[in-house]
Order: sequence, then structure tokens, then C-alpha cells
Amino acid sequence: MGEELIFLLIQLALCVLLILWGSIAISLIYRKRRSKVLRNIEVQFADVVSNFLYGNEDDQLSLIDIQRKFKALGISPNHPKSKNVQYLIKLMLRTQGSLLGRSSERLKVLYQQIPPYRASVIKLKGKDWYNKARGIREIYEMNQGQYLKEIIPLRNHKNIYVRREAQIALVVFLGWGSLRFLPYLRWNVTLWQQIKIVEKLHDLYEIPNIAFLRKAYRAESVYAKQLLIRIIRKYELIGEIDYVLDFIDDKNYELREAAIYCVCAFNLPEEKMDRLKSVFHNIPNNSHKRQLLGYISTHNTLDVAFYQNLLYTGNDYIKLNAAEVLWGSGYKELVQDFYYQQYTKNEEIYVD
Amino acid sequence: MVQKKALLIQEDIIILKILEKLLQSKAFSCRALSSLSQLNIEDQTVDFDIIITDILFDGIGPMDFITQVQEIILHKSLLVVTSMGQKKVKKEILSLNGISGFFSVPLDLDTIESNLATISWVKN
Repeated sequence: MGEELIFLLIQLALCVLLILWGSIAISLIYRKRRSKVLRNIEVQFADVVSNFLYGNEDDQLSLIDIQRKFKALGISPNHPKSKNVQYLIKLMLRTQGSLLGRSSERLKVLYQQIPPYRASVIKLKGKDWYNKARGIREIYEMNQGQYLKEIIPLRNHKNIYVRREAQIALVVFLGWGSLRFLPYLRWNVTLWQQIKIVEKLHDLYEIPNIAFLRKAYRAESVYAKQLLIRIIRKYELIGEIDYVLDFIDDKNYELREAAIYCVCAFNLPEEKMDRLKSVFHNIPNNSHKRQLLGYISTHNTLDVAFYQNLLYTGNDYIKLNAAEVLWGSGYKELVQDFYYQQYTKNEEIYVD
Repeated sequence: MVQKKALLIQEDIIILKILEKLLQSKAFSCRALSSLSQLNIEDQTVDFDIIITDILFDGIGPMDFITQVQEIILHKSLLVVTSMGQKKVKKEILSLNGISGFFSVPLDLDTIESNLATISWVKN
């Protein structure tokens, strides 16, 4: 009985071993073939790109030749979802990312002509948010502006990643014109996304278009306002500073912060400075007040009345800062007066 | 006129081919390798006008690789084109003797092109 059982167990173990070996062999063969195919695609793509960029006229491939070449590799418009197509797209993006200057511009022309024609735009129709976002990214990185119409409705998509990519795509394709969508913004825009938009805009469209910017001032969303403020700061549009000054004493913490951050980057003229000082008292947060006070004291000629007023009305830290400024610029008596007055007041309290 | 000779060593096939075509369009005769192990005995007898190489290869550090290339291959000038473009690496590589240029990804091919023109002009 014992022998039979052991024999059976050995057989079982052998079976498992054989299955394991078999699967390893199959995966080895598959991998070998697969990497050969991928390598082939890479070589062919390298051929196409290098010939397009620097080939002499004899080796220039016609579009039909390119299409045939790719079709032989399993890349055709009929199978837009195949892994080979995805690999080619990956190569295209990598190449685009590793070149700059004139050749990068010429590469964009090539990308508009060769397959995979609609692989990226078909992804937009899928249900999966991941595929959608990926499709949008591919479209704008390969500069396929012809699909803009499909992207525009996705800018207010409920998934954050899809609408992020869609917004970046709008900036890439429309530049300053994309600001006209701001008044219709429905969801939040994170700080990171705002920075990405501003940087992308600055990279691609260096000359500001004030007309579009002013149209976007109608936007009521807090996030849109923050974005506009950041754009004004990035492009140093001192002429638009009035828009920023409107939000210095806003109730929303982040909006206020963006506005103060923006103002601190500029050297304001006298009348704007007066406006800033007039709204100073309305700022609900003390750390913001201090930040702004630091800016005012370094960028403005000394306004004794303003600081003296702060000395009697502000919070302790603000008082200290105001006293520091006054003391440092030769108004010791004012500061002394303030502290003596405080001292006598306290004494009276003790007397009582 | 004798054709100028160039040696390319790049692991990334796409960059390799693009550079190869670029050199050919500038009338160089070009030998393109994807690693140093493909180098054969004839290559080591040739005096190359220019070597364009990556520095990131399996089993060897960037600095060692450059010194090895400089030792075993005869050449007049050496350009480094690589995806490993950290400032520290660049500084270290440029501090070596006999490096005529360092380019990292993203590559501006126009600068490489103008660089080639000056190098070939100097050597003539």
C-alpha cells in the first residue's frame, strides 16, 4: 500500500514538473519570437525616421512603401488595438521626446502621414478612463491636431485624469484660445495641473494674447481665477494687475494666496500700491498679511501713517513687523510712544 | 577627396540610424555599432576622423568606457551623445582629455550638425 502511494506521488510530481517545463518552453519560444518582432518594428521605424530626416533623395520612401512595410509587420489600420501598434506608438513618442529643434518639427510632419492613423482616437471612444487619457496624450504628443474635435468635449469629463489630459491637449492645440473654455469649467483644477498648463502654454506660445485673457476674466470658478493669476505672473503682465488686486482680500484662502504670490513678483507703481494698502486691512488671514507687509516694506517708499495705523490695530505679529519697519527707518519715537502707552494702560489696570 | 571616416556606437537603434544618416549626408563613411563588442579587428586599424558614442552600456561604467574607447580605437575627435545627461556626469566626462563635445537627450541635431562642420573643417 505504502509503495503504491509513493509511486503515485512520484508520478504526480513528475506530471507537475512536465507541465512546468512545458510552460517554460512555450513562454521562451513566445518571448523569443515576440522580441524579434518588436526589434524588427524598431529597426524599420528607425529606417523610416532616419531616411525622412537626413536621407538623400534616392532612399526617400514613399508613403505607400512605408504603409506596406508597416503592414508586413502587423501594423495596419484594421487592427488599431494590436500590441504592435501600441509598441510603434511608444517608439514614436520616445523619438519625439528625444529630439529638439528643426528635426523635431519635421518629425511632426512625418507623424501626421504615417500609420497608426486612428489608433489613438479610437481609444477615446473606449469606456476605460485609462485608455481615454492615454489616447489624448498620444494625440497631443504626436501633434495630431485633426482630432481636436473629439477631445474638446472631454475637458469636463468626470474622471480627473481624462480631463487633465484633455485640458493639456487644448492648450497644446489652441494656445491662448483655449482660455475661452475657462468660464465653463465645472470641476476643480489642482495646483499641479495649473502649473502644468501655465508651463505648457509658456513653452509653446511665448507671445501673450491679452484679448483671450480678458475674455476669460468672466470665469467664476475659483480654480479658473487662480489659473489666470498664475498666467499673469508667468508672463509678467503688469498691465493686468488690477485683475489680481481684486482677489487680494478674497475669502477663499488659496485664491488669496495665489494673488499675493503673484503681486509679490511685480514692482507695483505708486497708485497700485495705494490700492493694495487700502485692501490690506480686509485680508482675513494674518500670515498672508505678514507676507504682504514684507513685500510692501521692501517695495514702497515709507508710508508712516500706514505703519502707525498698523501699530495700533493689527495683530501682535503685524504690530511687531510694523514696529520693526518704523524703528529701522528712524521713527523710534513712534514705536516708543506706542509701547509706553501700552505700559501706562496696563499700570492702570493693576492700580484698579 | 578622401572620404572622412566616422564610428558610431549607440544602443538605441533609432538614434543610431538617425545619426548614421546625418553623417552620411555630410559625406562621412560611417560604421554604426550598437555596442563595443561588435567591434572587429579591421575597425581597430582604422584611424577614425570622428567617434560618436553613448556612455551607458552593460557591465561598464561611463568613465571606464570612454577611457577604453580612447585606448583601443584610433581617432581624431570624440563626441558623446547619450540619454544619461545629468550635470555631474557631463562635468566628469568633459573633464577627461580629448572629448570634443557632450550632447544629451533631448538632442538638438542642428547643433550636432554645426559641430560636425567645425570639427571636419579644423581637421582638414
